[in-house]
Amino acid sequence: MNMYGHELKSLRKSALIWTCSMIALASLFLAVYPGMASDAAGFKQLLSGYPEPVREMLGIDLDTVASLLGFYSMVFAFVTLCGAIQGMNLGVSILSKESRERTADFLLVKPVSRSSIVTAKLAAACTALVATDLVFFAAVSVVASAVAAGGYSGKTFLLINLTLLFIQLIFLALGLAVSVFFARLKNVLSISLGTVFGFYVLGALLASDAGDEAARYLSPFKYFDSFRIIRDAGYEWSYMLAGILIVAAGIAVSYGGYIRKDIHAG
Amino acid sequence: MNVIEMNRLTKHYGKSRGIADINLTVEEGEIFGFIGPNGAGKSTAIRTLLGLMRPTGGSATIFGQSCLEHPDIRRELGYLPSEVFYYDHMRVRELLNYSAGFYKKDCARRIRELADIMDLDLNKKIDDLSFGNKKKVGIVQGLLHEPKLIILDEPTSGLDPLMQQRFFDLLAEENRKGATVFFSSHILSEVQKMCSRVAFIKEGELIKLEKMSDLQADSYKRFTLEAASAIRAEDLQIEGVSKLENGQGANSVTFMFKGDINDMLRRISGIELRNISIEEPDLEEIFLHYYAKEDRAG
Amino acid sequence: MNLFWREMKANRKSLTIWSACMFLLVAGGMGKYTAYSAGGTSSEVFEHMPFSLKALLGIGTLDVTTMSGFFALLFTYIELTAAAHAALLGSGILAKEERDKTAEFLMTKPISRSSVVTAKLAAALANVAVLNLVTLISSVVMVNAYNKGESVAAEIVLFLLSMFIVQLIFLSLGAFLSACLRNSKNSGPAAAGILLGSFAIAKITDLTDRLSILNALSPFKYFSIDRIAEGNGLGIGIALSALALTAVLAALTYRFYGRRELNL
Repeated sequence: MNMYGHELKSLRKSALIWTCSMIALASLFLAVYPGMASDAAGFKQLLSGYPEPVREMLGIDLDTVASLLGFYSMVFAFVTLCGAIQGMNLGVSILSKESRERTADFLLVKPVSRSSIVTAKLAAACTALVATDLVFFAAVSVVASAVAAGGYSGKTFLLINLTLLFIQLIFLALGLAVSVFFARLKNVLSISLGTVFGFYVLGALLASDAGDEAARYLSPFKYFDSFRIIRDAGYEWSYMLAGILIVAAGIAVSYGGYIRKDIHAG
Repeated sequence: MNVIEMNRLTKHYGKSRGIADINLTVEEGEIFGFIGPNGAGKSTAIRTLLGLMRPTGGSATIFGQSCLEHPDIRRELGYLPSEVFYYDHMRVRELLNYSAGFYKKDCARRIRELADIMDLDLNKKIDDLSFGNKKKVGIVQGLLHEPKLIILDEPTSGLDPLMQQRFFDLLAEENRKGATVFFSSHILSEVQKMCSRVAFIKEGELIKLEKMSDLQADSYKRFTLEAASAIRAEDLQIEGVSKLENGQGANSVTFMFKGDINDMLRRISGIELRNISIEEPDLEEIFLHYYAKEDRAG
Repeated sequence: MNLFWREMKANRKSLTIWSACMFLLVAGGMGKYTAYSAGGTSSEVFEHMPFSLKALLGIGTLDVTTMSGFFALLFTYIELTAAAHAALLGSGILAKEERDKTAEFLMTKPISRSSVVTAKLAAALANVAVLNLVTLISSVVMVNAYNKGESVAAEIVLFLLSMFIVQLIFLSLGAFLSACLRNSKNSGPAAAGILLGSFAIAKITDLTDRLSILNALSPFKYFSIDRIAEGNGLGIGIALSALALTAVLAALTYRFYGRRELNL
């Protein structure tokens, strides 16, 4: 508990900054929704003058996209990008900071096992992420109900927002696993930004082949597709399973690696 | 009971040397010195003992158990690293309380006592402390839970002489109360003052392990004499003199002496001196001596 | 000069990694071109669609079925990568002396603070330029390999030129942050935060034309990708203002670093 409390305290400030930025990003965007919705209504009217096939081609997409949830999904993609960086950064730094700040000699001669150190830190990181997401969810719910004209499905909104936590956990586990392989990790930020942007770009390029279901496994950003969640009011379980496997493998590697690790002086 | 046991302890990493085949035991209540020049492997041995690193071969235990397999055994351990680094943003008090939180006992009184003795301000931020003051935090941090085994890696660097003295008094006091002390140093005199036994390590190997009382008997002194007139070598050639050489200047000599100092002083009293110095030989010289002896034996 | 080469050497490995990633990004991105060019769903219906809806449907204003349009799409990510490199490099190159506790060593040498900044900024500039050149060469080569229509080399050069200016902005921003923040450890996260914020703003203003005012805050929006893709050049006024911004940030870096209380 001692270590958990200590870690949590040291994560407080950064979690607060992340939460505020993500809320600001989402609210800013949601604030323009009412104007967007009236644009869409006008366009739909105009569309009624077009022949049936054209309407069919656009109609479904348009209804989804112009709905509050569809609109929210667009900005949510960037919220998950932020969340992924937060998670990855947390994962890469939380174990390695003892070596980086040379406090490993202090902590690792205390009468606690290496695995309980990993457990305490992991628990603190998860707490920080869950707290971020809870506050974020509460804030965007308020904004969303304020701007939504026609109401929306609360369950679907929750399902979409929950994927933020999944993405964060995937990158947290990935970051932890990466960090145990470095003797002294100096550039936490380069590694987290590089990895997250790498997967993000990979995901963005994969998006062109909407039909390529296998390729989606390559980027965690493609595991949870907001539009499909809106359509199905549920997740795609095969990708969910892939996510769970990544988290489990990442955490297992972190425990194994950290327990075996040599802590060098100076 | 053996508080510390190293059994053929070996640690290699990469290309660097590490340590090889170290055997030693430290008994309860001892003050044990671990001596060697920079880079000899003192810290490697200590870090492997503490479970910070995994041995390549052999084993190291405290209170009969390996720190890697039984981290709990470190409840009775206090450790002061050679370079102290703590969480910069914390205050001294916060850090000490955090440290105390690992030992499941109330250390508040002991923290106050130790801070008083070491003259440490508990309300300062770690970030704002000087090197010496950080070292004091390290000392308090290592002793606040009244450990039964105290391991120190070059503890005195950065402390002024007054604080060094207080610190040694503190260690002696803990030792009287029953604590075993193990400390590494490259300063022989420091070890001589405190220790009951010493081990010498060089290039990763243990080259000598003996009682301080024995070592004292063959304690070497380095003499430098400067006389009014030329010094005849024969005047000084008694049992125990070695490496007799001309010093700087025509009438000066230097030599090493091992034996009864009174005999030597009686010899010297016959010489008209301008200057004299009698010093502890530096560690390198002692080592050279042991190496020479080993070569002869081998 | 000593310090300059030291920095070049220290950054060699990271530059190699960034360059390799950049090449992979360009090569991988162009590999997707065939998928896009096969699509081709232009219809007069889209002409009447409001800007925000087009953006939401992922159509945007770029015609991604043409080579220059597709490269423009890819360029967003190339630019993001280059900007991330520049921001991290700029914030790290000065701050690392304090982070690695080598500031004491360096600052007791007979060399002024401003020449330290000059040498480090020059090294960072060289690194940024190399990454830009690597991107330029990979882009021209890869685009040529896929392009069946007319050459777009001239547009690519312009894209990369605009990217170089964006790199300079983030480089000087990073350096400025590390010189002015009291705890230089925070300069990396701060620079990354601004980078991420700029990118998010750029993406969001793509989606709706109601927030265009925010574009002033995002260097990614200083140069219009559409404009370059259509072959209309950079816009000399905006290029000059961007360079002026860089110059101001660099000057402030010298000023703040000169007066800085180093955390030894």
